[in-house]
Amino acid sequence: MALVNPDFAAELQAYGVDTALECFNCGTCAAICPLNYEHFPRKMIRYIQVGAKQQILQQAQDLWRCLHCGLCTRTCPRQANPGELILGLRRYVVAQSRRGEHV
Amino acid sequence: MFKPTDIIDLLAANVRQTRNPFGVPASRFNTWWRDAGGSTRRPGDALLFTGLMYQAIPFIEATTRYLERLEDSPWAEHLRWGRLVPASLRGLGLDYLTAAAEKKKFNGILQTICRVLKKSQVGFFYHPEMDFYSGILLYDLGDQEGFLRHARFVARTLKLHGVQKIITVDPHTTYALKELYPKYTGESFEVTPYFTLLHLAKEGGGNGQPPVVLHDPCFYGRYLKLAEGPRQVLRSLGLEYVEVRNCGEFTSCCGGPAESVSPALSREILERRAAELQAAAAPVVTFCPICLANLLKAGLPVEDLASLVGRTVNNGG
Repeated sequence: MALVNPDFAAELQAYGVDTALECFNCGTCAAICPLNYEHFPRKMIRYIQVGAKQQILQQAQDLWRCLHCGLCTRTCPRQANPGELILGLRRYVVAQSRRGEHV
Repeated sequence: MFKPTDIIDLLAANVRQTRNPFGVPASRFNTWWRDAGGSTRRPGDALLFTGLMYQAIPFIEATTRYLERLEDSPWAEHLRWGRLVPASLRGLGLDYLTAAAEKKKFNGILQTICRVLKKSQVGFFYHPEMDFYSGILLYDLGDQEGFLRHARFVARTLKLHGVQKIITVDPHTTYALKELYPKYTGESFEVTPYFTLLHLAKEGGGNGQPPVVLHDPCFYGRYLKLAEGPRQVLRSLGLEYVEVRNCGEFTSCCGGPAESVSPALSREILERRAAELQAAAAPVVTFCPICLANLLKAGLPVEDLASLVGRTVNNGG
């Protein structure tokens, strides 16, 4: 069972993740993403919104599939900046890993 | 796919020890300038800053060939122990595995850039001690701490040398210096990609070269919106080019950025882009060392913008 944490989005702001709540989950980012992979990056943004921290840590490896090509950010109708959110999540996961948290 | 944090720790250890992610002291692979004719610093001149990207491509390719064999094998697990080997030893091993012909080819691109800048009468100088890796890979992979430490060192060193104007040769370094350094180090420079400074109209005339198809790197096409610059250079030389549907701001990724964590994924993205470019049935021209190396892997006839410009100027001048 996934635990949700409404304060998680605020916790991520220290890693540059500050536009996640702009996203209304339209899926444009997942449609244009060259990875064409399991609703990426939309899925990760939804996890941020509901505070599903464990889901992000369990699927952390997927964050590094992102090519940082910027197509999602260029086409996002809400300027939620999905590419930068993924980059911010990488920073968060790297920081967690260095603190010894299991990733 | 490798465990990303293993790769990041290895690269971060290299950057800490040798100031570049390859673990090879820059003096060993940054040698292109020895055959570039030299340039003297004058007041107001810009620093030519390669970011060590073109000269590093043969090393990146050698690394990727070995990573490709390890990926998803039982040996992939052991990669994390690589950081315990001193960077100098890792680097020497890599240096040994890198073909001299490849080094010469990529050094030649930098020498050509130098030559066409001189022909365009651009005031610039080069000093290998002031040319650093930008740290962009650490930033892209999410090692913010490592990126900040390195970027602050580079920015501070350049400021200490009184550098204000910088000429860049690749999109990743351009993005780092133009967008990331002011934001994260507080230091700003006047950053200009070399192709926007070229004035070669009277030198060439196309010389009957066949049309080329352009592959825009993501960072020039989309992030920095500089796709028009190389087109302007080609038009001024009378060189024809054709566009593919996914170009400029909507260019497709070549797959290069995935190389360090998953050569297999990189290959998959590359094959898709290669098919788009092949449909144009023309030689490919790009202006990023990562894209160039990756597209070459797909077996496409591809060359760097600088090589095409240099050859045209030679024939016409």
